[in-house]
Amino acid sequence: MFDAIQRVIEQIQGTIFETAIEPVLFRLGLMDWSEDAFDGVEFALYGAIAVALAYLLFRPLELWHPAERWDDRRAVRTDVVYTLIHRIGVVPAILFLVLAPIGVMIDSYLRFQGYIPRDIEKLVTPLFDHPFATFLVYMVVLDFAEYWRHRLQHRLPWWWALHSLHHDQRQMTLWSDDRNHILDDVLAMVWTGTIAMLIDVPPGEYPLVLIGFRLIESLAHTNVRFGFGGLGSTLLVGPRYHRVHHSIEHAQPPFDRTRGCNFAVILPIWDVVFGTWRPSAEFPQTGVAALTGQAVRCGYLAHQLEGFRRLGAVLVHFLDRRRPGFVAALPAE
Amino acid sequence: MLNSDDDTLSVVSSDGYHEVSRVHIGRGPHHLIASLDGRTLIVAMSGSNELVLIDRTTGVESQRVEASDPYQIGFSPDGKWFVAASIRLDRIDIYDAKTFQLVHRLPAATMPSHIAFARDGSIVFVTLQGTGSLIAIDLATGKDLWTVPVGPSPAGIITLPSGTLLVGIMGSDHIDAVDPRDGSIIRKIQTGNGAHNFLVSPDGKTLYVTNRVAGTISVLDADNLQVTGTLTAPGGPDDMALSPDGRELWVTGRWHAAIDVIELASGALKATIPVGRSPHGIFVY
Repeated sequence: MFDAIQRVIEQIQGTIFETAIEPVLFRLGLMDWSEDAFDGVEFALYGAIAVALAYLLFRPLELWHPAERWDDRRAVRTDVVYTLIHRIGVVPAILFLVLAPIGVMIDSYLRFQGYIPRDIEKLVTPLFDHPFATFLVYMVVLDFAEYWRHRLQHRLPWWWALHSLHHDQRQMTLWSDDRNHILDDVLAMVWTGTIAMLIDVPPGEYPLVLIGFRLIESLAHTNVRFGFGGLGSTLLVGPRYHRVHHSIEHAQPPFDRTRGCNFAVILPIWDVVFGTWRPSAEFPQTGVAALTGQAVRCGYLAHQLEGFRRLGAVLVHFLDRRRPGFVAALPAE
Repeated sequence: MLNSDDDTLSVVSSDGYHEVSRVHIGRGPHHLIASLDGRTLIVAMSGSNELVLIDRTTGVESQRVEASDPYQIGFSPDGKWFVAASIRLDRIDIYDAKTFQLVHRLPAATMPSHIAFARDGSIVFVTLQGTGSLIAIDLATGKDLWTVPVGPSPAGIITLPSGTLLVGIMGSDHIDAVDPRDGSIIRKIQTGNGAHNFLVSPDGKTLYVTNRVAGTISVLDADNLQVTGTLTAPGGPDDMALSPDGRELWVTGRWHAAIDVIELASGALKATIPVGRSPHGIFVY
């Protein structure tokens, strides 16, 4: 069945590309980009499917048994914009156009120095005959790297100034996963790109499985009174687990902001191993205590500008400690 | 044939017109060629930085050779050199053909794509897709002899028996006939939008050109380069191969994940065979 679904998606991708994208590239003299654009159509298609599935599967959960009820859901609209422009590929395409040439430059330089990246199946040779197992190993390694990126997002004041945009949402829903500052996205891409230069990227054979991972991330942000239980919360990140990470209350001892808790993106095992696992029976409110009002409840562009303002405040604070800076960026006592 | 986005190799039956098997082969397989003695297939794996050598008779993998990002590959006609172009990393690698030891590594701005050789094997010509030009490199010294503009997004390139080069101008609707001595354009021959790659029939009389944007294949007389016919091949026609009896043209369709089999006598589409994502290199035997 999966093959049949994938086949249908491939045909839609090919038709969109041939009828709408390639003729435009040809007219504009951009045929060098045809294969990247073809991959871009695939990214957008799978992204659209992931968004549609997240809505169809998780919106009923939010209506049925929400963790929080709000009369006014206007703040959610900004997250819908974030989701659409990220998962349909607008922001990733811009980042790709800006960062890919830099990545090529670095990679090319390293090749001239004789460095060739080694993929995991070359390091662990029994994996070679099991591409799906290899794919899963990559997912685990990347999830591990995401855990540590997330730790740094909370630990470093300047990074927290950016990441606080993801956390300042007090109406966390299935749409909130992509609520990130563009510079934070740049850092994420550099992070992943660096890993790719060390161990390459996952095998490309399982795009449908990647949708499954995106759904887990959407479910983690879903406004539903649901968790995977005591044992389950060591196996997979769920709505309650991630809500605790997003809660105003979690910035309390021993889990202050700089230490934090429940950082894992997909596998909670990293939190267990590194002492940041915090099981809870509660469904706390989300947000950043110091941030309210228009700085939080604004449209996409205003929210992005707010991110630059917060980053600027932190940088000014570095230069002159008497300046208050971005209050939430200050390490907790 | 190779499914470049799926990291797989498909074995397709030329009798039943169906995919027999599909196996994971590594990262980013794009092109494959036969070894000089014809006994081995060499698959260029741009993603996993290696060449995969497959015994042509048994289909069994015999060796993997480390090579940095090989995309297009080829042996010089004199059998001395093996050249790999890295379209992603803007680089051309020249190896000793017998040992696969790297001899020269040259930066090539930008997007070195397809390669062809001078008939005496002394020079390699590489299309530079990103800068719309063609570069000639002396294989022994690794020196750039000349670089000339040819047209937007040049892709496929072959050497005719006369030594003249033909270059597919993918950003336009024609192929260029190029003088190998200095890169000057002798003639332009209109084929179709997105002229991409070439195939010469075994008797050397017929030339096929895929037109990727037009979704067609132009048939040319190889002697006078006159277009004698046009075949329909939708879905981003890319690489081609002829069936051993010369009656069928097999074409990979990059955009529709299938191989098209065209009956040359009638020009009819005989079969469309679903394979993996972004099928690219093809080898029929």
